[in-house]
Amino acid sequence: MKTKLAFEDVSKRYGTGDNAVKALDHVSFHVNEGEFVAIVGPSGSGKSTLLSIAGVLLSPSAGRLILDGQDITNLSAKEMTKIRLDKIGFVFQTSNLVPFLTVRDQLLLVAEIAKKRGIEAEQKADELLAHLGLAHRRNHYPEHLSGGERQRVAIARAWMNSPELILADEPTASLDSKRGRQVVEMLADEVKSRRKAAIMVTHDERVLDLCDRVLTIKDGKLIATAGMKAASQPLHSHH
Amino acid sequence: MFLALRELKFAKLRYFLIGFIMILISWLVFIISGLANGLSADNAAALLNMKADHFVIQPDSENKLNRSQIPEDKWTEIKQITAGTGATPLGQKMLSVTKAGTKNKMDVTLFAIDANQFLAPVITEGSHFNNTDKNQVVVDASLKQEGIGLGDWLQDPETNQKWKVVGFTEGHTFSHSPVVFMNLKDWDDLIRANPQLKQRYYSAIALQMTPSQADELKRDVSEIDVITKEDALQNLPGYKEEQGSLSMMIVFLFVIASFVQAVFFYVITLQKTNQFGVLKALGANTSDLARSLMGQVILLTVTAILISVGFTYGVESILPESVPFRLDVETFFLFSGLLLVVSVLGSLLSLRRIANVDAIEAIGRAE
Repeated sequence: MKTKLAFEDVSKRYGTGDNAVKALDHVSFHVNEGEFVAIVGPSGSGKSTLLSIAGVLLSPSAGRLILDGQDITNLSAKEMTKIRLDKIGFVFQTSNLVPFLTVRDQLLLVAEIAKKRGIEAEQKADELLAHLGLAHRRNHYPEHLSGGERQRVAIARAWMNSPELILADEPTASLDSKRGRQVVEMLADEVKSRRKAAIMVTHDERVLDLCDRVLTIKDGKLIATAGMKAASQPLHSHH
Repeated sequence: MFLALRELKFAKLRYFLIGFIMILISWLVFIISGLANGLSADNAAALLNMKADHFVIQPDSENKLNRSQIPEDKWTEIKQITAGTGATPLGQKMLSVTKAGTKNKMDVTLFAIDANQFLAPVITEGSHFNNTDKNQVVVDASLKQEGIGLGDWLQDPETNQKWKVVGFTEGHTFSHSPVVFMNLKDWDDLIRANPQLKQRYYSAIALQMTPSQADELKRDVSEIDVITKEDALQNLPGYKEEQGSLSMMIVFLFVIASFVQAVFFYVITLQKTNQFGVLKALGANTSDLARSLMGQVILLTVTAILISVGFTYGVESILPESVPFRLDVETFFLFSGLLLVVSVLGSLLSLRRIANVDAIEAIGRAE
C-alpha cells in the first residue's frame, strides 16, 4: 500500500528566542492510500498548525514532509500554491463557499484557478454534483442551501482538482449530528473508492468511528493513536 | 473575470448603487467642463479662433488688450522690421450700439482689422468688407438673436456713426459679447471722434511668429511688450476667475470620485478577507484576485462613463440656447481617461489588502 502523506519528525515554532512557541513538537505519522485519518485534540493543541502544514499552507521549522512521493519540505510560496492547486483538496468549515457563485460555479472556480476551465471541467463538475446528490441544486447560491448541502458542495469542490489528499477542517462544526454524520460518511466513501487519502480535524467524537485511525494531539505532540474501524492496525504498519 | 462578473451579477443592487454614484459624478464632471468650455468660448472665442500666436501691447497695460494703446509710429516701426508679414494691427473697443432707428442698446466688441490680413474672419453669410469702402461691418451671427440681419445699420449713439452689416461670421465673441469687424479706416474715424486724440493708435499688433522671433522683436523695438495668446486669454476680464472656479470644481470631483471608489472597494475587500483566504488556499494567486478586482473597477467605471456621456448629450440637447455649453470629443476622452485612472488609483488600497491576506486564514476558524 502506498503512502500518500508522511510527516517525519516535523516541528513548528512560531516566533524566536524566548518568545518562541512550539506548536508542533517532533510529530511523525503516515497516511496511506485509501486511509481516512481523524485528528482530535483540545483547542490550541496544534491541530490547525498540523492541518496547515499538511495542506502546504505553512512550512515546517524542522523535519521532513513527503506528499505523494515528493519532498515538499522546503518550497517557495509559488511552488506551495501550485502543490495546493494540484494535489490537495480542502473542505473548510461552512460558509467558506464563495457566496456569489452558484453550486456549479463553485466547482468550476477550481478549474478556473487552475486555468483548466472547459467542457471537460464542466462534465467533471456535473458528475461530482450528481454523485453527491446535488444535481438539482446546481444553479442555487449557497445562501439557499442547507448546512449539510453546503458541506457536500465543499466536498465536491475539494474533489474538483483530483487531489491526492483531502484535508477537512471541522467539517461538521455547524451541522446537527445526523447531517454531520452523513457528510463524514460521504467523505469516507469517496476516499475509499478513489484510493486517495484524507485527514480530518474535528471536535466531533460522534463521527470518529467512520475514520480508520484517530490521532490525538496535545501540546504539539502526538500522544496516542487509536484505530477505530481497524483497531488492530497499529501506526506505521505499512512500511 | 470569472469571479468579477459573477459577483457583479450576484450583488446587483450593491454595484448598481456605486455605479449610479459614479454615473452622477462623471455626469457632473462632463456638465461642468461643458459649461466651462462654453463660457470660455463665449468669453474668448474671438481670441481663441484668432490665427495669431503673439500680441504686441503697450507696457504697463497688465497684459490686457483693452488697456493697451500702440501708437501709429510704433506700428510703422514694427511694420518695417517684420516687412509687413506676420504682423497686423488690431483695434479693439467695447461699444454699446443700437440697430439704426431703434433705441435698444446692445453690447458689442469692435475689432478693427486689415481685411487682407490673417485676422480677417471667415464669412458664413453675406460678403466681406474691404480696406477702402467705409461703413461696412461683418458681425458675429449671435447678433441675429438681437434682430440684426444683412443690410441693417448699426449705430453708435455717442458718435452717431453708422455701419452697414454686410456679412456674418461665426464663433467670434469676446468678453461674452458679439464681435463687430470693421476696417481700419472706420476705426480711424471712430477714435478721432475724441478731439483730444493726437495720434492714431491701435490696441495691439497681432503676430504670427515663433517665440524666438517674438523675443527678437521685443528687443528691437523700444517701449513695447510682447505677450502670448494664452497671456492675453488669461487676462481677459473675468476669464481667469470663471475658468478657475470651474476647474476647481472639476478637480474636486475627480478627488471625490477616486475616494468614493476607493472606500467602496476597500470596505468590500475587508468584508471578503476570509473569502480571499479560502481562494488563496484553493490555489489562487494574488495576481488572479487583483485582476478580478481591477476588472470590476474598470468595468464599473467604463460603464458609468459611457452612460454619463449619453446623459451629458441629453442635457446638452435640452439646455436653452442662451446657456453656453460646449464639449468636444477630446475633452470626453481626456476626462474619461482621467476618471478611469483615479478609479484604478483608488483601488490600489484594496489591492494591498488582498496581497496581505494569508491563505492560512481559511484554516481553524472554529477554534
